Parts: sequence; C-alpha cells; structure tokens
Amino acid sequence: MNIVVCVKQVPDTATERKLRSDDKTLDRDAADGVINELCEYAVEEALRLKEAHGGEVTVLTMGPDKATDTIRKALAMGADKAVHLVDPALHGSDALSTSYALAQTLKKIGFDLVILGSESTDARTGMLAAMLAERLGTPQLTLANKVEISGAGITVQRVTDYGFDKVEASLPAIVSVVEKINEPRYPSFKGIMAAKKKQVQTFGIADAEIDAAQVGVANAWSEVADFAVAPPRAAGTVVKDEGDGGVKTADYLASKKFI
Amino acid sequence: MDFTLPESAQAVQRGIAAVCARYDMDYWQRCEAEKRWPEEVWAELAKGGWLGLAVPEEYGGGGQGLLELTVATEALSASGAAGGSAFTYVLTPGFGALTLARHGSPEQRAALLPGLAAGEVETCFALTEPDAGSNALAISTSARADGAEYVINGQKIWITGVQRATWMLLVTRTIPAAEAKPRTNGLTVFLVNVPEAVAAGQLSYRPIPKMGANTTPSNMVFFDDLRVPATSVIGEVHAGAVVLWDILNPERVLLAASALGGAEVALRVGVAYAKEREVFGRAIGSNQAIAFPLARVKARIELARLTLYKAAWLFDRGLPCGTEANIAKLAASEAAWEAADAAFQTHGGMAYSLEYPVARLLTEARIGKVAPVTEELLLNYLATQVLGLPRSF
Repeated sequence: MNIVVCVKQVPDTATERKLRSDDKTLDRDAADGVINELCEYAVEEALRLKEAHGGEVTVLTMGPDKATDTIRKALAMGADKAVHLVDPALHGSDALSTSYALAQTLKKIGFDLVILGSESTDARTGMLAAMLAERLGTPQLTLANKVEISGAGITVQRVTDYGFDKVEASLPAIVSVVEKINEPRYPSFKGIMAAKKKQVQTFGIADAEIDAAQVGVANAWSEVADFAVAPPRAAGTVVKDEGDGGVKTADYLASKKFI
Repeated sequence: MDFTLPESAQAVQRGIAAVCARYDMDYWQRCEAEKRWPEEVWAELAKGGWLGLAVPEEYGGGGQGLLELTVATEALSASGAAGGSAFTYVLTPGFGALTLARHGSPEQRAALLPGLAAGEVETCFALTEPDAGSNALAISTSARADGAEYVINGQKIWITGVQRATWMLLVTRTIPAAEAKPRTNGLTVFLVNVPEAVAAGQLSYRPIPKMGANTTPSNMVFFDDLRVPATSVIGEVHAGAVVLWDILNPERVLLAASALGGAEVALRVGVAYAKEREVFGRAIGSNQAIAFPLARVKARIELARLTLYKAAWLFDRGLPCGTEANIAKLAASEAAWEAADAAFQTHGGMAYSLEYPVARLLTEARIGKVAPVTEELLLNYLATQVLGLPRSF
C-alpha cells in the first residue's frame, strides 16, 4: 500500500508568532519551525498501517527550504522517502490554493491512502483534507481516531460531538486524524541516522504541473485585511467576598451568559 | 579547525532532547522526592536505542563512542535531570557498554552486549572502599584463585545502582596492594552476576541514606566468599589497571557532562527567574549584581564544554585523554556549583522553598565537587602529572 502523509512545518507555538508587514503572511523566518503536532500522529498512523499491511510511507511537505528539518523528523520516525514541494511562487498560498498544489503533486506521485493531521497549529482551518478529497475525487474520512484497512476498503471511527461515527469507504481515500488516535513514537538513534540517507525529492511548481496563476499570495481566495498585536489583558473584575461571594460570582457569570 | 559536532552526536542531542521534552523539571523533582528511578524516561531511552549508543552495531547497538555518550548525558542532565539523576545514564551505557565493548572477551561481549544495547540488562561499577576512596589503588577486596574459580572477599562503599544491576564490574586485588610492584599491578576486574550472588548469600548490600541523587541508591556492598568463574575476568588477571583507566577516564568525562548539564539547567532556571521577578519596579535581572554572576556562569559552561568534548574526542581516537578528562571534570563541576549558587542567590529566599527546583540543583551540583573524584585529586593530578611538581604524598 502506498501511503502518503502530508506534513506541515509550523512556527513553534512556544515562540512568538508574527505576521509580515509587507504581505500580511506568516513570518516563517521569525520563529523556529517545528513539525505540526497533529502531523506526528498522522505519520505514526501511517507507520502502523505500513507495519500491519506492508507498503511504503512517503512524506509530502509544501513549504520553504527550511521545512527540510520537518521532513527529516518524519523520516527519522520511520517514513521511507519524501517529496518536498518548494517554490517561491507558492509563498502565501491559502488553504484553497494549498489544496490545489498538494492535489497536483499527489496526482504525480500516486497514492492509495493520504493521511493528514486534522489541522495545523498555525492556520487552524482544518479544511485541507476535505478540499484534497474534492480535488482528487476520492472519499474523505476526517477526524479519525481509529483507522482499519481490509483489502481495498477502509473504515474509520470519526470523532463527533456526540461520540463517534463509523465511516467506510474504498481506497484510494483521504484521512485526517485527531490526537486521540495514537501516541507518536520518538525518532530512535538509528532512525535519525538512517533519515539522513533517505531520498527527498524536490518538486517545483512545473514538476507538479501547478498553474502559477492559482497559487501564491496574489491569487489567494482569502485575504488578511489587517492585523494588530493583541491588546494587553485588561484588569479583571475583583469580587470581594463579604459573605455573599458565591452570589456575586454567580451573578457575574450569569451576566456574561456562562450560566 | 571544525567545531561542528559529528552528525551522530547531533542526532543524539536532538533525539535525547525530544524524549526528555515530555518530562519536565517537575517530573525530576518528583522522582527525587519519591526516591524512585525515572522508569518512564528510561523505557523511552531504551526503546530509541539511546542506552546502547556505545555498543557495537554487530551487537545491536549504535556503534558510537564516548563523544555521543557525553552529548547524551549532557542532554539528559540539561533537560532537568541535573547532575545526580543523570548519573543513572552513566551506570549502564557508560560503565557497562563502553567497557565491555573495549575489553570484554568475545564470550562476554556476545552474552552481555545485546542486552545492554536493548536496555534490558543494567550494570554497576564497584571500586571504592571505606579505606580506599581517593587512594583507589589501596583497595583490599581480594580475589583468590581456586581451581577454575576465584573467591572474592571484601567490602565496597558508594556503589550506585546495585539494586537494578544484573552485572557488577568489580575491581579487586589479586596481589595485595602492599606487595604489588608497581602499585598498579595486581588489580583484576571481574564481571559479577549480582542477583545470582545475592541468591547464593555471597553478596549483600545496604543503601546509604544520602542528601541527593536519590533516583538511584548508593550502597555499602559486602562480598563473603563470593565465587566467580575465571572466565568472568575482564581483560587480564593482575592487569586490571588497563581496564580501570578505561573506566575511570570515561567516568570523569561522563560525570563532567552530567555536571555541565546541571549547570545549564541551573542557569536556565536562574535567568528565567531574573527576567520574571520584579523588585523595586523592575526585573531583578536588570541589576548587574544579579546579571553578572549568571553571565559568568555562561562563560564557564562554554569553556568547560570545549575541554569536555575534546577529552571525549581524544578517548574515541585512542589518544591519551587523562589531562583533558581531569580538566573537564574540574571545570564542569565548578561551573555546576557556581551555576546552582547563582540560581540560588537570584531566587533569594524562595530558593530555600522545595517548591522551587533550586535546592535540588544545589544538592546535585555539590556532589560533583567530590565524586567520583575530589577536586583536590584533580588538581593534584594536574600539579604532579602535568606540571611536574613534586608529589606531596
């Protein structure tokens, strides 16, 4: 089975994240890049499926040069090879154009199953899996906390507000996973050393037959109109307990419609 | 000159840091308070192959040397384990794996190294005695040949990790110290199966209540007609000094790494508090009386690390490293103590509260100035062996 895991490099949530003043896109140079946490769960699930059913795990990343670190991390966990989609024309692509670029690349490299984290910690749109499925004409099985493969069929347990749904489809398919699905492994010493020798293929937009007029900040369907630094937190309301602290607290919560 | 660490060492730095990232300072505080082995971290280190770094690849290990172990110990220590707790790492990956990889017989290597690589088998090292600490050559634990066996009698002290160890590297005298010429002659190192010896009533131990590093107990150990096969000698009979130097130099290097990591933690804790704590309307770190000691610690850490990595690099190339190992140990333990003291002073009265990590860091740092070798002995080595000054003893 040919499994492709889409992996994204995101700014470290522990560092201060900034937007660029010129084109209002994320300033990826200003913060340390780390693998998006949910992508680690996606890699782990791909590795487990490979261990159970055989096949190959390919990491697919779209991002600037420094996203190589994130690719190596996924390879160190045990993925077999990687494709890095990197091109200045892709800078500032929104979710819609990112899904187009990734779909074009996936058509080139082929897949039986694509696994993604359900969202990234930077943009948090959570839409990519659905968009990819639409563009590729495959079933989408999103928010999975359990994945099972049998023959050409796939079944996932989809997390919902009321519990879970059981969703079945045939391969090829697109799956997005939530953090409850597994516990990602740490890269082992041998894994890290072996990752250095694994093949990372670099794709530009021409290689993936991506139309430059459909990607990049200028062609994005969504636009950051303006942004400002979050205002410092205002002083809170102090409730002084004069024997009626409980009532005052309840009144306050009721006034804010919490209760 | 290229100061870039080899890729293998960089992999170790990143890999250990990734494992340790899930175990914060509070985790190590709890382990110390509960006097318990860091099982969770240990299991992860075993799974990732981090305990078998120095085991040759043919036995399932990482095929690396002392430099990678040094970087690993430093990373583990710097993650929050700090000096004493990082010692856990020295016992098996250092004492056991490194020594057997270099000096073990083919049979010993085949029997032990795969288990050491997988983290399934642990080791400890027994040298010091109540009357032979700094003066290690004066040990009196004796091993007497009896047919195809040796019979060992004596007593050791400050033997750390006996409780978990399957194998003990035990240093004995097959020629009494008073009769040995030169004094380094007549030492023999044995591999002792600890659980078997305990079951046979030939080995017993008693933990020593201690002020820190309680994640792993240190013990008095007693040998009472302990019988071991002659095949359990590591290296040659009477010529154990060769093996011993190859244990003691890495021990100095690894404990320097452990101290250095402790210095890094203490500096991190001190700097964070100096930035965050406000007195008289400004962060206390803006006062040079607070800032300069921390800055000086930073300088000491960087200087110590240079000699530390050099010592490990020399050892891995089979070059003499005694001078560098001793200097690294001296510099790192001084840096650790100064860092813990600076962190303490920065925290003011709060340092004394066990809710902050500073008291533990201070305790962990203090032991580095006397163990596994006192600063005085390190200075003595430099004075007599390096500078050629007359001996005082």
